[in-house]
Amino acid sequence: MKAVMITYNQAHTERVEYILDRLEIKGFTRWADVQGRGSETGEPRMNTHTWPENNSATLTMVDDSKVADLLASIKKLDEINKEVGIRAFVWNIEQMY
Amino acid sequence: MSIYSSSVKNPITTIMIFLAVIVFGLYSLSSLPIDLYPEMEPPYISIMTTYPGASAADIETNVTKPIEDALNSVDNLKNISSRSIDNMSVVFAEFEWESNLDEAVNDIRNSLSFVEEALPDDCKKPTIFKFNSSMMPILFYAVTAKESYPALNKILEEKLINPLNRIEGIGSIGLEGTPKREIAIEVNPQKLEAYNLTVEDIGNVLKAENINMPLGKLEMGAMDYSLRVEGEFKESSVIQNIVIGSYMGKSIYLKDVAYVRDTIKKRTIDQKINGENGIRLFVMKQSGANTVKITKQVNAEIEKLKKTLPPDIQLIQIFDSSVFINHSISNLTETLMWAFLFVVLVVIFFLGRWRATFIIVLTIPISLIVAFIYLKLSGNSINIISLSALSIAIGMVVDDAIVVLENISKHIDRGASPREAAIYATNEVWLAVIVTTLTVVAVFLPLTMVTGMTGVLFKQLGWIVTITVVTSTIAAISLTPMLSSKMLRLKPKKLTERKWSYDNIVIRFLDTLDAFYEKSIRWALAHKKTVVFSSIGIFVASIFLVSQVGSEFIPETDQSTLNITVELQTGTRVEKTVEVTRKITEIIETKYPEVKVRFSSSGSDSEGDFTSLFSESGSHMINFSMRLTQPSERNRTVWEIADALRKDLDGIAEIEKYSVSTQDGMSFGGGNAISVEIYGYDFAKTDALARQIADSIKSLPGARDVKISRKKEKPELKVVLDQEKMALNGLNNAMVSMALRNRIQGYTSTKYREKGDEYDVVVRFAEEDRNTITEIENISIKNMYGKMIRLKEIGKVEEHWAAPNIEHKRRERIVTVSASPHNVSLGDLSKRIQKQLDSIEKPSEILVNMGGSFEDMQESFADLGLLMILVLLLVYIVMAAQFESLKMPLIIMFSIPFAFSGVFIALFISGKTFSVIAALGAIMLIGIVVKNAIVLIDYINLMRERGYELNEAISLSGRSRLRPVLMTAATTVLGMVPMALSKGEGSEIWSPMGIAVIGGLIFSTIITLIIVPVGYNLMARKGEMNKKKQLEKQFHFLDN
Repeated sequence: MKAVMITYNQAHTERVEYILDRLEIKGFTRWADVQGRGSETGEPRMNTHTWPENNSATLTMVDDSKVADLLASIKKLDEINKEVGIRAFVWNIEQMY
Repeated sequence: MSIYSSSVKNPITTIMIFLAVIVFGLYSLSSLPIDLYPEMEPPYISIMTTYPGASAADIETNVTKPIEDALNSVDNLKNISSRSIDNMSVVFAEFEWESNLDEAVNDIRNSLSFVEEALPDDCKKPTIFKFNSSMMPILFYAVTAKESYPALNKILEEKLINPLNRIEGIGSIGLEGTPKREIAIEVNPQKLEAYNLTVEDIGNVLKAENINMPLGKLEMGAMDYSLRVEGEFKESSVIQNIVIGSYMGKSIYLKDVAYVRDTIKKRTIDQKINGENGIRLFVMKQSGANTVKITKQVNAEIEKLKKTLPPDIQLIQIFDSSVFINHSISNLTETLMWAFLFVVLVVIFFLGRWRATFIIVLTIPISLIVAFIYLKLSGNSINIISLSALSIAIGMVVDDAIVVLENISKHIDRGASPREAAIYATNEVWLAVIVTTLTVVAVFLPLTMVTGMTGVLFKQLGWIVTITVVTSTIAAISLTPMLSSKMLRLKPKKLTERKWSYDNIVIRFLDTLDAFYEKSIRWALAHKKTVVFSSIGIFVASIFLVSQVGSEFIPETDQSTLNITVELQTGTRVEKTVEVTRKITEIIETKYPEVKVRFSSSGSDSEGDFTSLFSESGSHMINFSMRLTQPSERNRTVWEIADALRKDLDGIAEIEKYSVSTQDGMSFGGGNAISVEIYGYDFAKTDALARQIADSIKSLPGARDVKISRKKEKPELKVVLDQEKMALNGLNNAMVSMALRNRIQGYTSTKYREKGDEYDVVVRFAEEDRNTITEIENISIKNMYGKMIRLKEIGKVEEHWAAPNIEHKRRERIVTVSASPHNVSLGDLSKRIQKQLDSIEKPSEILVNMGGSFEDMQESFADLGLLMILVLLLVYIVMAAQFESLKMPLIIMFSIPFAFSGVFIALFISGKTFSVIAALGAIMLIGIVVKNAIVLIDYINLMRERGYELNEAISLSGRSRLRPVLMTAATTVLGMVPMALSKGEGSEIWSPMGIAVIGGLIFSTIITLIIVPVGYNLMARKGEMNKKKQLEKQFHFLDN
């Protein structure tokens, strides 16, 4: 099991959901309206007058086999337009109940 | 859930809600009455009191004065003025606008109840009369007839007025100048005396003869009969055969001493319509009724009824207030359509996308339709104010939708799905959109609070613009995102651009413009001093223009109406007056083909009735009212024609005074006159001063129609009775005056009835026996002992001069000298007159004051000045709250003075004057201009927050915001262009506003684009630049 944390511009919400459905990933947890900024090129999404946009974050636990597909799909989505912004981070799950 | 996300998620609901609004709006539109102006209640109440037989001076002291004193205690009273003429006193009470007149009427009634006791016995009870705009006739017809003329009154009453009265909304229909039938018994005094009879004897006999009387019931056999005498005259011809007495055993018939005529009452007025005998028929509507609808119905009905009238009766329409209304309204509707088209073109030019343009433009009809709902709910009408308000709003309602749509399409272009883009993009801008709307509201909402007459005009404008702009904002954050989510698509990037494509031409042009602007900003930032000083220079230079642009109250309009009032020597007989009328008629017929319908009256109706309130009358007065062809169908304007007429009237020797007016008197802008008010008790002194002032004003260039309000003293005959001689002869004042009145004016003894109508039977001396002083002095009066006494034995007839009218204002005697400006502005002329007044030496007890339109103008400008301060404050408050800064609004307000410069430059170039309407345009500019600067400053702030260096931030934001600024300015300017250029009827009022806004906006936009960035740089330098350092200071603990 791996945990995949996807943070993305709100405008990607529906697409991310669709990707999860397509890969038959049922469970996830989402935080809407989160703020943050990219380490290199990512524009800040601060929900302020200066940086008005917002991000969302989705955390999902998937089988190891699905991680590659998921990341590939996210990369494809990102490549439509880099400005919008989406990133995914993967880490191990040590235990679960 | 926010309004935009729910509307995107529930598109059907959203569409249905807006559909409901549209349906409701269209329903309101269909049932709204159409009128020229919003309905208003002029705050005037007049109190009319008749005191038969009293001279103007008697009326003044015995009637007018006590009433004026009584009114003093009434609340909200602004001004009292009065007019005392022979037989009648009229006191005008002027209240503050929008004060409760019903309450005022009650107050007045209460106060009057105290003085009624003190008024002379013969004086009738004062009548309180509340003036209402619906009392003005909306339709005038001229009726001419040949054979049917004597019976015209009855024919019209039965066949025309009664059927017309059935039309819904008609207040009343009146006839003016109808011939009235009367049975005149013209007595020969010599014969009468020979038979020892008097006028009263004849009258009493007639009264006794002309009766029907029930005599009781008669029981005969099984039947019950009622018995009656029917002595009433069956025909007028029987009257002459009535026995009025006996002399030496022989019966004397009426025909022996008098000549009985069944005739038309002798009138002292001669009315001609297009040269023929005629009368006027006028229609008044109920208050709140639809003028246009009623006139249409009446006209149609009259067309039908015409066929039932005798063929010699002709009906010609002389005045139809709906014509001017219809023309003005259709004119404005056209203006509105053009404005709509222009706005659409601007949007398509800047966006270059059909779907986007459609979404934006859709907010226009929706916002405008809501205005109709407001009008319906508040009981208003479609009028030139409401339509003008709409054409002002049309350029502003798209602004919010543009901002929202731009942001949405930015997201879509970046690859977001339209649905999400619509929600998130709106989320980013909705607050900014609302704040910019607030600045506009801050300008227009105070308009609803203006008081006075200008307030009535601007109230509706303020509400309509506020409502439409607020609606447009609501639509922009609900309907616009919803439609965008459905209609906008990601535009595929074309690899090869066609040569004439939008991208290749317009985009490239706009890109060049952006680049050029960025370069200009950079240059300006490098040459701040030059920029600042040259703009101050421009502003100062434009201030000098202020004195070049004249000022006036409300611009005059070409209403295709001309009215001439001519005054001959006081006391001239009607016959003489008619001759002069004929002369003028000839001139008009030959030299003025533009005149379509002409109505003239010479002299006046003898009874001092209601109409004498509004127009001066007397046997020496001639009134012409003329209707011209449409402005588009003639070469000369109504003013040119009036000038030519004035020259022609100068050439007629008999004319003592005349005035030519080009106004209906039923609308604003009516009086454009300046009046000099002379207060003082002494007639001789004030008259002399008035004449002196009038002469000095006449010598001024640009003054015309100089008039003195107090009429020349008119010759009067007075019977002076000797009390002692009267007493010796057993007579008293009442007996003598009654007897004289019966012989001269006539003794209405009884009524002759025919077919349900009653006609007076009047006994009086034949005219040839009462038209010299000797004949009057020879009149004999029966005394208490039945002896005949001649008037000359107890008194004599003297000729003397009396003032025909005495006017009061603020309870003091007043004479006004009025003049209207010609080729100069009202403001300039009043300045010149003021100068003349200063040089004239005035007796110490006389007070001289300037009033009239000039007074109204100054009051209105003062109101508007106050309004401007209020608006500036409110706009500052809104902006300070938005930017959370006290300094930023000041930078933005830099652009306002230049808007005013622009206004004056535009007025100067177009040769228009600075009127109340243009001033209103200038105030509106505050909101529009500030909006532009907000867009710019807001973005500069944003760029600074994002860490750009000051000058870099300024130039980059300038480049990026140029298009939105140009776009909003262009929609507003082009929305106003049709209004400014409009040439039709009524356009004179509104075109100065269009010109003011266009000039001000263009000029201030250009200046704003340069001066605001420079101002930002100057003001921001200290605090803003070192923001980073300041932040570091707060967290210096980290450095240790």
